[in-house]
Amino acid sequence: MPKEYLFVFAQAHEEFRVPELLSISDLYAFNIGFPRYGEDFRNALVRPFMILTLDQEEHTKLLAERCILIKSIYEFYAEGQTYKELHEQNKMAQSRWTQYVEDTSFKFTVDAFNYSIGQRRQREVIESFSYMDFMGKIDMKHPEITLGCFEEYRDDRGEPQSNRNKDGIFNHVYFGRLVAEGSARSLVGKFDVKKREYFGNTSMEAEISLLMANQAQASTSKLVYDPFVGTGSMAYTTAYFGAHVYGSDIDGRQMRGKAKTPGIIRAATQYGVADKIMDLCTFDVTHNPWRCGGLFDAIITDPPYGVRAGAKRLGRKKAREDPSLTHAAKPRPDDQPRVPPTKPYELSALVSDLVVLARYLLRPGGRLVFFLPTVTDEYEEVDIYSMLCEGMEVIANSLQDFGSWGRRLITIRKTSTSYHSPPAFDNSSPTQPDISHIPAHKDFREKYFQGFRKESPP
Amino acid sequence: MVRLITHNLLACHVKGCTTNNFPLTFQDVQIELQEAEFNPEFVRNLLSRLDWAALVDAAKQVGDTSLPPEEPEMMDDDLLKKLHHVLLEIHVIEGAMTCPNCKHVYPISNGIPNMLLAEHEIG
Repeated sequence: MPKEYLFVFAQAHEEFRVPELLSISDLYAFNIGFPRYGEDFRNALVRPFMILTLDQEEHTKLLAERCILIKSIYEFYAEGQTYKELHEQNKMAQSRWTQYVEDTSFKFTVDAFNYSIGQRRQREVIESFSYMDFMGKIDMKHPEITLGCFEEYRDDRGEPQSNRNKDGIFNHVYFGRLVAEGSARSLVGKFDVKKREYFGNTSMEAEISLLMANQAQASTSKLVYDPFVGTGSMAYTTAYFGAHVYGSDIDGRQMRGKAKTPGIIRAATQYGVADKIMDLCTFDVTHNPWRCGGLFDAIITDPPYGVRAGAKRLGRKKAREDPSLTHAAKPRPDDQPRVPPTKPYELSALVSDLVVLARYLLRPGGRLVFFLPTVTDEYEEVDIYSMLCEGMEVIANSLQDFGSWGRRLITIRKTSTSYHSPPAFDNSSPTQPDISHIPAHKDFREKYFQGFRKESPP
Repeated sequence: MVRLITHNLLACHVKGCTTNNFPLTFQDVQIELQEAEFNPEFVRNLLSRLDWAALVDAAKQVGDTSLPPEEPEMMDDDLLKKLHHVLLEIHVIEGAMTCPNCKHVYPISNGIPNMLLAEHEIG
């Protein structure tokens, strides 16, 4: 019989919480239930508290050790819109806490979301639970159990003083017993880009790199690939969770940096995961040397979308009449590596190619995890589906909102088990099934630099 | 650090070079041995992705003859350890890989292979 648990989330990246829970519970092959939230829970939930069901209490530990967005998990006792409702429910739930009444040391915490409760009322709240009649001693340092009570207030940021949250006027109140504290959140500090040996101006921030590794279900024995590895942000977090990582980039300087030892290897050494970096290779993913498909358990990447670094592929903007003539006529000195010409790679073409490439390179059930920038006003859900191909299914789509634009972390699973050929990477034959639909991420770079204006300036 | 597993997964990808384009031949290689944590499950997982004959040949090129010429049907722990060493602990730091068919040279510098193609090779 599944039991209910109260999840307390960090106040960040709301849309990423449920996908993260589902990815990690799927990774460890256990169920997580959302019976209180109906069909549309993936989109509906932006609140910092959720009451979810698990089959076994030890699953809370697995989640709290891996999910970046979990602050803590409590065995759920009661909730309500008022303390009266809460206490009534708590009395009904007596069978859950009666075992702690007689001789268990305990601590009681009272906390609020969007508000700060004064000490005096905290004491009043604690005293209102006196009917539970706990006889064990109060131990603030090493209690055997911690009971937690949380008041949830509405968001009053930007409201005038008269309309601010008032003490005790909350939307909801929750109560339970602490079973697991989120230990994965400290990894955000560990992987802080500023403390990293090697990083660049396009490095992904630590928290998102960790969330991406979780969406990719990075774990021991898995082989993961980043085709736009850059300075390796996601390679470190993915490797930290035990996976082995390949990285490639069209620009070798990004991976190397200036010292002899490549920058990515230096940073990986700092995190103790250098032996998990399988290899780094310089090549253009549209002309890639992978011998066959079905190689990787996950592909995790942040494709360049042209704001800080433009996407490039091999070729020239304008085709030359006879490409065989180009550099043969003028040999270059041996000590200078040749830098081949590149041309821009339009985002919607890149993304469609990436999905087809992932279908080729992933093993069945493997995941593609990547960011897609979109223009907030123009985004439609169909944008995501227009880039899919047969055998690839979107399982999560979480927005990180920057106002007029945002980026969506997309997780796609390869459902197909049959062989798929590699993409043609040919601009002239779009892979989108519906060519008539133009997604909001098309020509993102141009839209970004025009400030997302609807019409072009006079 | 081109490991032999990586060598085993890369083929020449010059436009039109589709036969005899694998395995690439090592040239003037500098080798470094780096210990890696032994994970039998990971090595087992890699097996299905491998071309055994190419691996045995590549190992020979860098002076390791510990693997049997035919892929054994049963993998015991001893063999998995040998395989672990060959696949993951031998690193090619400098040198090149050459396509046996079109002779394209892919240089390796500071352990990073340059697999970029020239303009006339992408068609």
